[in-house]
Amino acid sequence: MPTSEELTAVMRAVATHRDRPAFAVLFKHFAPRLKTYLMRGGSSDSEAEDLVQEAMVSVWRKAASFDPDRAQVSTWIFTIARNLRIDRQRRSGVVQVQELSDDDALDAVPATAAAPDDRVAAMRRERDVRTALAQLAPEQALILRLSFFDEHPHARIASELQIPLGTVKSRIRLAVNHLRRLLGPLES
Amino acid sequence: MTTIHHHPDDEWLVALAAGRLESGPALVVDAHVEGCAHCRERVRHCEALGGALLETLEPALLAPEALARTLAAIDNVPAPSIAPVRPSTPKPPLPPGIAWPRSLRDCSVMRWRWLGPGMRWSRVTLPHDPAANVFLLRIGAGKCLPRHTHSEVELTQVLCGSFDDGRATFAQGDFDAADGTIRHQPVVHPGAECICLASVRGKVLFDGAIARLFGSMVGM
Repeated sequence: MPTSEELTAVMRAVATHRDRPAFAVLFKHFAPRLKTYLMRGGSSDSEAEDLVQEAMVSVWRKAASFDPDRAQVSTWIFTIARNLRIDRQRRSGVVQVQELSDDDALDAVPATAAAPDDRVAAMRRERDVRTALAQLAPEQALILRLSFFDEHPHARIASELQIPLGTVKSRIRLAVNHLRRLLGPLES
Repeated sequence: MTTIHHHPDDEWLVALAAGRLESGPALVVDAHVEGCAHCRERVRHCEALGGALLETLEPALLAPEALARTLAAIDNVPAPSIAPVRPSTPKPPLPPGIAWPRSLRDCSVMRWRWLGPGMRWSRVTLPHDPAANVFLLRIGAGKCLPRHTHSEVELTQVLCGSFDDGRATFAQGDFDAADGTIRHQPVVHPGAECICLASVRGKVLFDGAIARLFGSMVGM
C-alpha cells in the first residue's frame, strides 16, 4: 500500500511530466477501490467500470489542479468520482441526488494557491481524520465504512455485525459521534 | 455577519459529502453550508473521511483491459476548455441585501403567491428532479404558521428574518431538521418578515381542517 507521500509524488509526476507509468500506479491503486465504492453505492458492474474509467480520465485531465496543500490524493480522487456519479445520476434522472456547489468542490481548479492557514488546516484535517479512524474500535470503523458508502447500509450492517436492524441507526450515530469526539473541538 | 446557532447534524453533512443525499434535502443543506464557514469545514472533514475510507475498501476485480482502455482514453482527451458560465435562472425579488443561495442557481423559482394574510410562498423546481418537494415561505413580521408536525422530515434554512417555534429562535443562516417528534408553530418575530427555504420528505401534517387546506395549496 503506497503511503500518502508516495501518492502525492506520483500525482506530481502525472501533473508536471504527464508521466504515464506514474498514472498507471495511481490507476492500479485507486481504480479497484473506486469500483468497490461505486458498486456499494448501487452501480452495476458495467456502470462502475465506466465511471471508474471516467474518474481516472478526469484525474489525468485535472492533475494540474491537484493541490496537496488542500487535500490528500485519496480525498481528491474520492470527490472526483463522487461528483461524476452524481452528474450521471442527474442526467439519467434515476436517483435524485445533488452535488456540492462547484465552488466548494475539491476538484474545482483553485483560483489561487491555498493560503498558509488553509494549508495548515488542510494538512491537520487529513491527519486528524486518519488518526481518529485508526483509534476507533474495528466494529465502529466497519460501521463508518459501510454507512458512508453503502446505498442501503442498514440491512448490511445488521447482517455483517449480527445486530438487530433496529439498533443499526443508533450504532451509526455512536460511531460518528465517537469519531467526532476524537477529532476534537471542531464541534463547538 | 450574523452568528449562526443552528447547524445540520453530522448525519446530514456525512450524507452530503458522501454524495448520497436526495436532491431536495441536499439543496437545503447546501444552502446552509455555503453560508456557514463552520459547516464548510465540517464537510471538508467528511470528505477527508471519504478519502481515508476509500483507502480501506477491498479492491474490486476490474476488467482485464481496464487500464489499457483508460490509457487509450487519456490520449483522446481534448484540451481543457473553459466551460461557458450558464446564467442563473431568473428569480423573483428578495428583500434588499438578501441574495439567493448559490445552490438554487439552476432551479426555477416561481413568483410569490398568496397563501394567507401576510403569507406568501413559491415553488422551487430542481431541473434534474422536478418531483422534489422544495418551496419557499415568506411570512410577514409577527405572523405565524399553523401548528403542524411531519410524517418524515422537513429541512429549513432561514434566508432572512427570524422565527420562534417554542423550541428555539431560528434566524438568518440557521438550519433546522424537524421530524415526527416535533410539533411546532413557527411565529415570525416582529420587525421583519422571514423567508425560509424548505424541503419536505413525506408530508407536513397540520392540526386543523383550515390549516390542512393551507398545506394542500403548497402541496406540502
